Amino acid sequence: MEDRTELANVDVIEQGFAELGYICSPRIATAVFLAARLRKPVLVEGPPGVGKTELAKTAATLLDLPLVRLQCYEGLDEAKALYEWKYGKQLLYTQVLKEKLGDLLQGAEGLAESVERLHGFGDVFYSQEFLEPRPLLQAMEQPAGAVLLIDEIDKSDHEFESLLLEILSDYQVSIPEIGTVQAQSTPLVFLTSNNTRDVSDALKRRCLHLHIPFPSVDLEERILQSRVPDLQANLRHQLVAFVHGVRELDLKKQPAISETIDWARSLLLLHASELDEELLRSTLNVLLKFEQDIEAAGAELPGLLRESAKAAAGRD
Amino acid sequence: MQSSLLRFIEILRSHALPISPAETLDAAAALDCVGYGDRSMLREALALTLAKSEREVHTFYYCFDRFFDQQLSDFHTDPDESGEGEAQGQPPTDTAQPEGAAGEGNGSMGGGGGASGADALELAGAAQESPALADLLDGELLPALLENERGTLSAAMRRAGQEAGLQNIRLFTQKGQYTRRILDALGEAAIRDAVIELERLDSDAQDTLRRYRDVLREQVRDFVDQQYLLNAEGHNSAFMDELLSKTRLSNIDRRHRDRVQEQVRRMARRLASRHSARRRPVKRGQLHMGRTLRSGMAHDGILFRTHWRSRKRDKAQLLALCDVSGSVAAYAGFLLMFLYSLQDVLPRTRSFAFSSHLGEISDLFRDESLERAIELANWRFGGATDYGSSLRDFAQLALDDINRNTSVIILGDARNNRGNPELDIMRSIYQRSKQVIWLNPESRQAWGTGDSEMLRYQSTCHYAAPCGNLEQLERVVDQLLKSLR
Repeated sequence: MEDRTELANVDVIEQGFAELGYICSPRIATAVFLAARLRKPVLVEGPPGVGKTELAKTAATLLDLPLVRLQCYEGLDEAKALYEWKYGKQLLYTQVLKEKLGDLLQGAEGLAESVERLHGFGDVFYSQEFLEPRPLLQAMEQPAGAVLLIDEIDKSDHEFESLLLEILSDYQVSIPEIGTVQAQSTPLVFLTSNNTRDVSDALKRRCLHLHIPFPSVDLEERILQSRVPDLQANLRHQLVAFVHGVRELDLKKQPAISETIDWARSLLLLHASELDEELLRSTLNVLLKFEQDIEAAGAELPGLLRESAKAAAGRD
Repeated sequence: MQSSLLRFIEILRSHALPISPAETLDAAAALDCVGYGDRSMLREALALTLAKSEREVHTFYYCFDRFFDQQLSDFHTDPDESGEGEAQGQPPTDTAQPEGAAGEGNGSMGGGGGASGADALELAGAAQESPALADLLDGELLPALLENERGTLSAAMRRAGQEAGLQNIRLFTQKGQYTRRILDALGEAAIRDAVIELERLDSDAQDTLRRYRDVLREQVRDFVDQQYLLNAEGHNSAFMDELLSKTRLSNIDRRHRDRVQEQVRRMARRLASRHSARRRPVKRGQLHMGRTLRSGMAHDGILFRTHWRSRKRDKAQLLALCDVSGSVAAYAGFLLMFLYSLQDVLPRTRSFAFSSHLGEISDLFRDESLERAIELANWRFGGATDYGSSLRDFAQLALDDINRNTSVIILGDARNNRGNPELDIMRSIYQRSKQVIWLNPESRQAWGTGDSEMLRYQSTCHYAAPCGNLEQLERVVDQLLKSLR
């Protein structure tokens, strides 16, 4: 992973991501760079919708590696995350092989010898063929490496976090019946968290910690420019200034980048050339997701609009 | 640079960032990857490996900027324009420095080199009469000052600082002492002697030399200041926190309130993480026969996949009764602050405030900020303390809701103004509830003295404890959380 030309240095990473439509700050690029160099997972935190998951997806596209995704939820356990035995297949095989068993044991004297003879066949039913790899094991088994995305780790249980420790520090999985499976090639691992609870210190210690905040005006404009290129520059300035104004308000959920992009797309569909109050009122629900927030922002609309027009004029 | 990284990590630790040796290794590896060339990249790379939460990132940046700027800025500001230099209308002494001065809008850029050279000439001229000055000019310090060799000077300064043990500075009163020591080590005494000698000779060069001496002093003072901030600040604030946690809550000064609140929040976070980890001790309960059989049908009736009835958790409930009369109000505030910072791990909490009578204040805490809520509770229920009537009010409001899953916490000094203590109600609370905990801000010796009913009330409690300071409070809440699991 560390000798990939796509990850040669921070600027190359930033450029590569930008070409794929992901405009990242130097901090994000540095994180990806260090993750590849130090072979360490990245724990990405930040408010919802700032592009945490997108980061992993883009990294996979950039490196042309498969993206293995594990969505965490309460009650997720190793059978769903790591591996499971194919019980059905095991059962089917035993049924089919029942008759074969008679042939095999023919001529065996007594129980002891039969068991002895069975031992000679080894643990056929607990071998690689009967192993169902789940996302974590799949990521280990990719010959060229993979991008592993463990999404919303904060939703999972504490036990699951402990399960991850072995995988994240040594890139290996221990399966009692088979042994230790070593990663074919170190995967690039991203863990995301929305901070609904604190991730344990043990896990944090093994990761690089990357916090993605809401972007600056400049960065957000570049993101918009790359994602919604058809939007006029003037409207883009206004829009971003307006969204930044809205984020200053006391809201239940602040609009993130994904909402800004959605909003920009809907304005484009409406052939808007300029923000005005009527247009805002009718499309505010794209930006804000709670009735209270829409009301709160609605009360501030004229002021926000004036501010954003001024800011946009300043940028032109 | 390796040692400088270690120094930096030491400073981060003193600012309450828990950095393990493993993370130190990571940081060193990251350093190797990014190099020292690009300052902002170095900053990001170290932040990624050393700071593990948003809060820590802020602290990290604060320390990083202080620590590394200090190393850089020495070179820029070394013998910077001294105030009096300009006041006397003379060209600043250091305009010879190629950058920096121009940015500050200094007009006399062009003549700079000449001024410094003129100073040197003037001093050389004066040295003919003064042997002290002549010695000085032959030494290292003054020529370095005259030539503005910032690198040499700051290196010398740092060396002197290390010899003087500057990294051990803890109190701001030590600043003067350390400044003196460093100046002595640099050989400032020689300049002083020369100035005195020049004064005696009434030479024109004395002002010039004095100016260089003042520049040097100022530089050393700044250096000591920065070192103090880096080395002592973290330690002092940890010391302050420790001190506050042992001070009686009612004695804590208003201006420390913010600090204490922050500390309570930190304690609450610690308790929350300790107890939330134990939250799901039993994942499997009884075998769920029906579901197991049903899912077994797919496998020819063989029970491959088992289903378990997860055990139903008892719905624990917490009732907190707080005396909000004058003397106890401060404690009530802290207890409530604690309980509400723990909302995530605590079960349903209802809180009541009382003084002359009692009322529920759970809503207040939901709708208002903590401080405002405590203020309102005070205003609504404050007055002469009457435990009897308060308990009667409580019995009416909540006695029927108390069952074997209920924990009741009462915070008060049990000073009843000689009224009826209503022990019967307390006893029925005791019998119905899982536990009754009484927290008394007074120390045990004072219980039962004067109009205190504490000894009688104690007989109806499962657990009674004094809770005078934050430490005791934390211990009690910790125990409470343990008992709820």
